[in-house]
Amino acid sequence: MQTHFTLAQLADPETARSNDILRKCVHCGFCTATCPTFVLLGDERDSPRGRIYLIKSMIEDDRAPTAKEVRHVDRCLSCLSCMTTCPSGVNYMHLVDHGRHHIEETFTRTLPDRFMRGVLAYLMPRPAAFRWAMVLGRLAKPLAPLLPATSSDPGGATFLRRLRAMLEAVPDKVPTPSPVDRPQVFPALGVQRKRVALMPGCGQQVLAPEVNEATVRLLTRLDIEVVNVAGSGCCGSSVLHVGRNDQAIELAKRNITAWLREIDGAGLDAIVINASGCGTTVKDYGHMLADDPVWAEKAKQVASLAKDVTEIVAEVGLSGIVPRPLTVAYHSACSMQHGQKLDALPKKLLREAGFMVKDVPEGHLCCGWAGTYQVLQPDLSRRLRDRKVANIESVRPDVIAAGNFGCIGNIASGTGIPIAHTVELLDWATGGPKPAALI
Amino acid sequence: MTTSTIKPRSPEELRQAVEWALNDGTTLDVRGQGSKIAFGKPMACDQVLDLSGLSGVVDYAPEELVVTLRAGTPISEVEALLAQRNQMLAFEPPDLGPLLGQEAGQGTLVGAVMGNLAGPRRLSAGAARDHLLGFSGVNGRGESFKSGGKVMKNVTGYDLSKLLAGSWGTLAVLDQVSVKVLPAPDQTRTLLLLGLDDAAAVRAMCAALGSPHDISGAAHLPGKTALRIEGVAPSVEARLKALRELLIDLDAGMEELGTLESRAFWREVRDVAPLKVASGSVVWKISCPPTEGPAIVARIKALRPSAEAFYDWSGGLIWLALPPSADADHTIVRGAIGAKGGHATLIRASEAVRAAVPVFQPQPAALAALAVRVKESFDPKRLFNPGRMG
Amino acid sequence: MQMPPLDPAILARRSEIVAALRAIVPGEGVIDDLEGMRPYECDALSAYRQMPLVVVLPETVAQVSTILSYCQDNKVKVVPRGAGTSLSGGSMPVGDAILLGLGKFNRVLEIDYANRCARVQPGVTNLGISKAVEHEGFYYAPDPSSQIACSIGGNVAENSGGVHCLKYGLTTNNLLGIELVLMTGEVVRLGGKHLDSEGYDLLGVMTGSEGLLGVVTEVTVRLLRKPTTARAVLLGFPTEAGAADCVAAVIASGIIPGGMEMMDKEAVKCAEAYVGAGYPLDAEGLLIVELDGPPVEVDYLVERVAEIARGRGATTVRVSNDEQERVLFWAGRKAAFPAVGQITPDYMCLDGSVPRGRLVEVLAEMREMSKKHRLRVVNVFHAGDGNLHPLILFDANDADELHRAEEFGADILRLCVRVGGVLTGEHGVGIEKRDLMGVQFTEIDLDQQMRLKCAFDPDHLLNPGKVFPQLRRCAELGRVVVHHNKMPFPDIPRF
Ligand SMILES: Cc1cc2nc3c(=O)[nH]c(=O)nc-3n(C[C@H](O)[C@H](O)[C@@H](O)COP(=O)(O)OP(=O)(O)OC[C@H]3O[C@@H](n4cnc5c(N)ncnc54)[C@H](O)[C@@H]3O)c2cc1C
Ligand SMILES: Cc1cc2nc3c(=O)[nH]c(=O)nc-3n(C[C@H](O)[C@H](O)[C@H](O)COP(=O)(O)OP(=O)(O)OC[C@H]3O[C@@H](n4cnc5c(N)ncnc54)[C@H](O)[C@@H]3O)c2cc1C
Ligand code: SF4
Ligand code: SF4
Repeated sequence: MQTHFTLAQLADPETARSNDILRKCVHCGFCTATCPTFVLLGDERDSPRGRIYLIKSMIEDDRAPTAKEVRHVDRCLSCLSCMTTCPSGVNYMHLVDHGRHHIEETFTRTLPDRFMRGVLAYLMPRPAAFRWAMVLGRLAKPLAPLLPATSSDPGGATFLRRLRAMLEAVPDKVPTPSPVDRPQVFPALGVQRKRVALMPGCGQQVLAPEVNEATVRLLTRLDIEVVNVAGSGCCGSSVLHVGRNDQAIELAKRNITAWLREIDGAGLDAIVINASGCGTTVKDYGHMLADDPVWAEKAKQVASLAKDVTEIVAEVGLSGIVPRPLTVAYHSACSMQHGQKLDALPKKLLREAGFMVKDVPEGHLCCGWAGTYQVLQPDLSRRLRDRKVANIESVRPDVIAAGNFGCIGNIASGTGIPIAHTVELLDWATGGPKPAALI
Repeated sequence: MTTSTIKPRSPEELRQAVEWALNDGTTLDVRGQGSKIAFGKPMACDQVLDLSGLSGVVDYAPEELVVTLRAGTPISEVEALLAQRNQMLAFEPPDLGPLLGQEAGQGTLVGAVMGNLAGPRRLSAGAARDHLLGFSGVNGRGESFKSGGKVMKNVTGYDLSKLLAGSWGTLAVLDQVSVKVLPAPDQTRTLLLLGLDDAAAVRAMCAALGSPHDISGAAHLPGKTALRIEGVAPSVEARLKALRELLIDLDAGMEELGTLESRAFWREVRDVAPLKVASGSVVWKISCPPTEGPAIVARIKALRPSAEAFYDWSGGLIWLALPPSADADHTIVRGAIGAKGGHATLIRASEAVRAAVPVFQPQPAALAALAVRVKESFDPKRLFNPGRMG
Repeated sequence: MQMPPLDPAILARRSEIVAALRAIVPGEGVIDDLEGMRPYECDALSAYRQMPLVVVLPETVAQVSTILSYCQDNKVKVVPRGAGTSLSGGSMPVGDAILLGLGKFNRVLEIDYANRCARVQPGVTNLGISKAVEHEGFYYAPDPSSQIACSIGGNVAENSGGVHCLKYGLTTNNLLGIELVLMTGEVVRLGGKHLDSEGYDLLGVMTGSEGLLGVVTEVTVRLLRKPTTARAVLLGFPTEAGAADCVAAVIASGIIPGGMEMMDKEAVKCAEAYVGAGYPLDAEGLLIVELDGPPVEVDYLVERVAEIARGRGATTVRVSNDEQERVLFWAGRKAAFPAVGQITPDYMCLDGSVPRGRLVEVLAEMREMSKKHRLRVVNVFHAGDGNLHPLILFDANDADELHRAEEFGADILRLCVRVGGVLTGEHGVGIEKRDLMGVQFTEIDLDQQMRLKCAFDPDHLLNPGKVFPQLRRCAELGRVVVHHNKMPFPDIPRF
């Protein structure tokens, strides 16, 4: 589409990149149809094509956006379904990051909004603080029903509604920290075939420590040495999605430093990530730091080693399978299928492991979790979850599998059907313990 | 009432005739071949406009699948021409002459188009409306105009062809039309299911149409349910076999008709020959959702046990014969259609009955008013076939 | 693009109109801020843009009806909009008109397998219908390339077609009924689950009426059972003429393929580079022919088509051996537009339709024009039904190129009409071809069409500035000049 940037504007690399992205968009509207928020709300402003327009207008005019514009960009889940659909290869992910960044820099949010985002941006990347918040949150949870369950905003983006969503998201039991989440080396059980770093993550190790445990068991059983590298941690995606680019970049640099040290030391064949949301971000470190001459190359190197856990399992191949005759509905997390374009692979592995795998209707639609989204846009999030659950239940599975802990928790909150991480099922089928959800 | 007949020899003469009628305040009874068959509201026109002088094929390119002809060209001539190149009018225009008390084999193609007629292949190939690509003609202002074209795909301007098809000559007089044609099938075969009642037959026909076996005709006559399969030999063979397997659970006797028998059979269905009509009986044509057909007929038979009926279009077309009555039992027939939708047209009845009873299904007020405005947009002085559709 | 002058009286009453709409549609459904309306300023023909007076997104038929009757009473213009994928500017807003978006009407209301039909709201996407019934083996046949996004309401308004329309027909041949709100606010139903209409075929007229006659609020479509098999044949020819001949020969032999598409050398090159479908890069003309039906029939026809192609000098004849390969053959064709988009900043997609027999001559002449206008043109089209999609390559950020592209496009469409074709086969007239209507139609032809418009919308309030080059008032169009007895009876045989 036509753009109207001045030469001065184009001198800014971020703007120049956005101009290239915008010029690629032919305004065909294909992406609207597969966007979860457009499917729910039917308003062009809540669609990718509409948001592209909104973002174009605010950066082209170099002005602070209006509250309404911000509202519609805020409703974006960053699920990237639009990118899978777009036939013209428009990089919406980078454009919306620019848009959010621009909003963060030029727009003054209301005080409650700033407070809420501040709290999330503080807690999300810090597992220890996050754990304490969960423990405290449990005490406050009984108050949730006193708060409003709906709001005047279709997204549910009002302070009290969000507060309720935040309390509701607190699990009833906060698991004790897992010993695998401390820096250490887990040697391969047999003759070592590969050596990988396991990204420890942030929220997942607090809420679902069993995922890292299963990953370590599975990989070492497949003769892969796994390292939990000291200094690595949150990937930065949760803060990136609320427009805090600087904070995200700091986190990225921390990880890069830690992993590079390991690469230069004992060496790494891959950096394994078992939360697909983080995977999408780490794989994009190269872009995140592209304008930083000191970091650009290093970031690229790390990004090129980043792999989803299923990719590494596929590389070495499954062995020692004890088939479990269960029907699995595979929920393809957005970050998995749209972010990393990994849709068929996890299903293939589950089939190889002896499960009956079923696709879920409307599989391209987000389950509504999307990181901080479930707190910031609770009503939209809830509607998407309910739609997802109905679609999953329509295929009558024995168990649901997914490769992202956020989706797992979110879907579990809406259905009685057990749900487990893909690696837990693969671990079980190759000799590991039965996933807790199935007991 | 009609006093005389005027018979133009060229499109320009046709235009002049209409212009003259407009200035003179003369109403026109528009006729293709002038086969004066009793249908529609009886009209009292001042003048017959006979189009049989505008006859002949203008252009026929088999590889384009289009034939262009003058409006008065007899349907039999068109069909013979197409047959030479192994093509056909896929909508199977019926010859209702005998049903309406006339000779068979008469009528013009445009006459059939004006009634939006279609035979059994309506199901898979559409009606006349789906095959009229374009036309030229004269509106009620004495102006020559055209619409559509000679190409398969065309969305330039409103699709007036659809509107004109089925307008019974009440909107404009056509002088030339372009019609889509299709290759004729190599083979035509029929699977007959024996002894099914109406409800079971319609279920079987709907199941067959819901299968991938490409059924091009589905009719239910008393005691006999027929499914037509057409195409190249190996395909027809395979589909017939698959169809038999699909319907095996019905426990109905099965028979097959070969190509020649099939052609004869479906021609009869097309021309409504299977309907038992006594002289004087009235004939209705009911269009409805296929699965509703049997219930509609049952409701009518409950009140008129001597009614005769058979189904085409998988149950969606009912041909119904009723004993003579002053009002053609129109309230019973239309009352039976119910809320699921559909409409009934009185095809055959005495002139007195047709004058007294709505021949076409009455429409809701807003729609009827719209139809009047549409008529006026073409023929503001109501020169053409006044009252035929009213 | 010249649009009708804005009515200052309406612009002056804007806030009052917005308030009235808010009273009808609560919440976020009325958009009147400039920034919020901007995403609505164009459809997929983004070279032409205009800001609407206000955008309204109703959720119920009652709201649509109230909005339209309010607009009729207050003489406010209305532009209906579906998914905004029109390529002719059909849903481009007008400055003194409300933009009425139907995006919220996105529910499938009923699926009736026994009667093989589905009743859906107009905002449901074309593909959404097929998706809703695919588990039972059914689908909705017309398949525009935009099917993932375009709405069925928009399909009705544009009478959209697609690759498979050669065999299965356009939208108009696959509709059973609609619910329609007239400009007066009256709600009427045309058709239903039964075939053919009881009076004038207004359903036929509504189909392809480009939002000028009424707002469609419900659609009943015919469903078809998926054919048991489908195979595609890839045919490469050393000349475009060879490919075009083959198209005519296949049809003359009595075969109607499920689809028959053609791509020129440039298009093949782009598509191959973009998706790697395995197309022969040496071919001047490439045909993709799809045959569907029971396996024996498909095998038989594939052989016949291959034979015909060899007889016409095909240098590549490849038949898909499995579903994956069939999809791959189509992948290049389906991605042809974005593939071309990779070698040019912008392209303009035209949509003329010509008799199949004139294809070769039209393609040759188009190349000459390309030299004259100094712009490249790439051809990808529905060869089976003679529907061309020339893509003119240009840069929208360069005003002169945009202008030349427009001129070039107009020349191509004039050429189509000259050889006996029409301005648009499936994308509609909209604003894009509006000023060329006179090339195909006389003033009388157009007046007759506009009179029909008057029967539905006497104040020309619906989708103004579209389709017709100049609008004449209905009162003027409706006048009948009668010269009582002034004209003698013409010299025509009389009995
Ligand atoms: C009056 C009549 C009613 C019929 N009703 C039915 C029916 O309900 N169902 C059915 O299946 N078959 C019906 N048929 C049979 C079928 O229409 C004929 O078989 C058909 O071929 C008519 O051709 P025709 O030239 O003899 O008819 P015509 O009487 O000449 O024409 C039939 C209709 O078309 C109009 N018409 C003819 N030519 C033109 C023209 N050039 N421009 C504008 N209008 C034109 C006439 O005004 C008339 O309304 C009817 C036939 C007639 C004549
Ligand atoms: C990449 C691409 C490929 C395409 N390929 C094809 C193709 O292969 N074949 C084809 O036919 N088209 C194609 N199109 C064009 C377009 O998708 C169709 O015209 C489609 O039918 C438009 O639907 P829409 O819902 O987007 O309608 P819109 O663009 O929103 O509107 C189109 C017209 O319909 C009217 N309208 C919309 N909804 C209603 C309603 N409910 N009631 C009354 N009027 C209404 C509008 O006023 C407007 O005039 C393509 C478009 C793109 C961008
Ligand atoms: S990322 Fe997801 S929510 Fe955001 S615009 Fe794209 S499809 Fe819509
Ligand atoms: S699909 Fe791609 S090109 Fe089309 S509107 Fe969306 S982003 Fe733009």
